[in-house]
Amino acid sequence: MWRFLGETMAVFAKDMRCEFRTRVAFNSLALFAVTTLAAVSYTIGPYGIAEADRPYLLGALLWIVVFFAAMAGLDRSFVKEEETHTAPLLRLAARPLVVWGGKLLFNTVTLALLMAILVPLYVVLMGLSVRTPGWFILVLAAGCLALAVTTTIVAAIVARAMSRGALFAVLSVPLLLPLLVFLIQGTRAAIEGRVPDVLAALRAVVSLGGVMTVASAFLFPVVWHD
Amino acid sequence: MRGIAGQARPGSILVLTGPNGSGKSTLLQILAGLIRPTRGEVRYLDGDGEVPREEWRHRIGMAAPALALYEELTAMENLEFCARVRGLEVDGDRLRNGLVAVGLDPDRPTVVGGFSTGMQQRLKLAQAVLHDPDVLLLDEPGANLDPDGQDWLAEFVRGMAEEGRTVVVATNDRDEMTWGTDRVALPG
Amino acid sequence: MTRRDILLGALFLWMAAVIWAAFLWAPAAAGFLGQSSRIVFFHVPTAWVATLSFLVSFIASVQYLRTRDPRWDVRAHASASLGIVFTILATVTGSIFARIMWGSYWNWDPRETSITFLLLIYAAYFALRGAVPDPERKAALAAVYAILAFVTVPFLVFVVPRIYWSLHPDTIINTKGRITMDSRMFRVFMASLAGFTGLAAWLYDLECRIEALRRKAEEEIL
Repeated sequence: MWRFLGETMAVFAKDMRCEFRTRVAFNSLALFAVTTLAAVSYTIGPYGIAEADRPYLLGALLWIVVFFAAMAGLDRSFVKEEETHTAPLLRLAARPLVVWGGKLLFNTVTLALLMAILVPLYVVLMGLSVRTPGWFILVLAAGCLALAVTTTIVAAIVARAMSRGALFAVLSVPLLLPLLVFLIQGTRAAIEGRVPDVLAALRAVVSLGGVMTVASAFLFPVVWHD
Repeated sequence: MRGIAGQARPGSILVLTGPNGSGKSTLLQILAGLIRPTRGEVRYLDGDGEVPREEWRHRIGMAAPALALYEELTAMENLEFCARVRGLEVDGDRLRNGLVAVGLDPDRPTVVGGFSTGMQQRLKLAQAVLHDPDVLLLDEPGANLDPDGQDWLAEFVRGMAEEGRTVVVATNDRDEMTWGTDRVALPG
Repeated sequence: MTRRDILLGALFLWMAAVIWAAFLWAPAAAGFLGQSSRIVFFHVPTAWVATLSFLVSFIASVQYLRTRDPRWDVRAHASASLGIVFTILATVTGSIFARIMWGSYWNWDPRETSITFLLLIYAAYFALRGAVPDPERKAALAAVYAILAFVTVPFLVFVVPRIYWSLHPDTIINTKGRITMDSRMFRVFMASLAGFTGLAAWLYDLECRIEALRRKAEEEIL
C-alpha cells in the first residue's frame, strides 16, 4: 500500500518537476482561461446581464471557461510521454495503476491551480455575488476532481491514437456534458443560496465522478498496455 | 513476423541480427512486454518457476532508441525516478556509482536535453542496469558511441553476462555481432 | 425456402400490418394535435432500438476485452453503426413531433437532451475508431470508450427525466407506473416495438456478416 503511494508520488513528482521547468501545459490552460475570461468580461462585464439571469448565466459561463481551458491542456500529461518516447520507459518500470494515479494527481493539481487563479478573477471581473460561498467552493472542488478523472482516462486513450488535437475534445465532450450540466445547476444553486438544490447537484457530481473513477481504474491498464 | 521461436539462458549473450525492417526492435519490445504479440507468448523462468508479469519490471532492463529519458530532468533525477517508480530504496551512492560506471559525471547539473547523443546513450545503459535486472535487452547499444565508447561497451556487456545475466542484443554492427554466444538472424 | 427466409417474410408482413394499424386501426389519442399522436408508434421504437444497440455495443465491448476475440469487436462495431442510424431517426421523428405539438423543432427537454448525448457518444466512438490504424488497438480502445460512455449515460437517461420537468408526454409509463394508453393504441404500440426490434436484429445480423467478410477480404489482401 505504502509502496504504491510512494511509486504514485514518484510519477506525480516527476510530472510536476518536468512541467515546472517548461510550464507548457499550465501555460496552455492559463492562456485559454485568461483569454476567454477577458473576452467575457469585456463584452459582458458586471452589468451586461439582467439581475435575474445572472446566477444561471454566470454559472454556465464559468464552467464553459474551465472546460475550454481543460481541453487546451489536460491531455498533455499522456500525449507528451508518447511524443517524446518516454512512455516505453514508464511502461517498463511502473505499474499501470501507479501511472494512472500519478497522472490523475497531476491533472487534478493543475486544474485546481488554474481554478484557484481563475475563479477569484471571474468573481471580481463579473461582479458575481455568491450567497453561500462555502457550498460554491465545494461544487468547484467536486467539479475539479470529476473533470480531472474523466480527462485523465480520455487523455490516455487519445495518446494511443493519431490526430490527437481535436480527438481529445471530441471524446471528452460526451463524457463531460452530463457532469457540466450538474455542475452548472449546482453552481447556480450555490450562487442563489438554495442549499437543497446544491446538495442534489453535488450528489449527482460525486456519484458520476465516483463511477468514472472506478471505471477508469479498471480500464486504464487496458489502454496503457495496448 | 511469423514463426519466431527461441530461448536464451543466463550468462549468455544472444544476438539478433537482420536487415532493417526485419523486426529486431519489435521483437525486443515484445520480449520486454511493451508490445503484445498477435499470437504466441513470452515466458521468463527462474529457479522458482515462471516469473509473473508484475515482476517483469524488476527483472528486465532495456536500452533502446525507442526508449527515451526525460529531457527536462538531470541524469541523477532520471535515475532517481527510475528507482522510485520501481519501488526501490533511493540510495544516492548507488545512483552516483551507476552514473560513474557508464562514464557520466553525477554532479553535472545539465538536463538530459543538453546531453550529446553519446551521453544520452550512456545514461540509457545506466538506467537499464540500475535495478540489477536478470535480463538485459539492448537495441543497437553502440549506435551513438565513439570508438572508445564502443570498446567500453563491449567490456560492459560482457561483464553483465559474466555476472549471470541473460543479455539479448539486437544489432547490425559487425563488432557487436561478435559478442554473442548465440546468434539469431531474422529474415528480412 | 430456408428458415431465415420464412422469418424475414414474417417480419415483412408484421411490419406492414403495424404500419397499416398505426394509421388506420388505432385511434388518434386525445390531447394531441390531430393525428400527430401516431408518431409514437415509430418514434418510441426507434429510440428504443437506439438504446438497445448501445447496450449491445457495451456488452460486446466488455466481451471483447475479456476474450480478445475479434468477432466481439465486429459485433460492437455493427451495433454501434445501427445505433447511430436509429438515434438519428429518433431525433428526427421526435423533432417533427415537437414542431407539430409545440411549434419548435428543438427544446432541450431532458429526453431530447439524452438522445443528443447518445448521438454525440456514437459520433465520438466512430471518430476514435477512425483515428487508430492498428486493428487490435482500435478494437481495444473503442471497447474502453464504449464502456466509459455506457457508465455515464444511465445518469442522464434515468436521473434527469425523473427529477426534472419534461415536455415528453407521459402516455406510456407515468409516475404511478400505470399504463394509460387506449387499448388499441397500446396493442399497436407493442406490436411496433416488437417489429422494430426484429428489424434491428435482422439489420444487426446483416451488418455483422458484412463487416466480418470485409475484414476477411482485407486480411487476404495483406
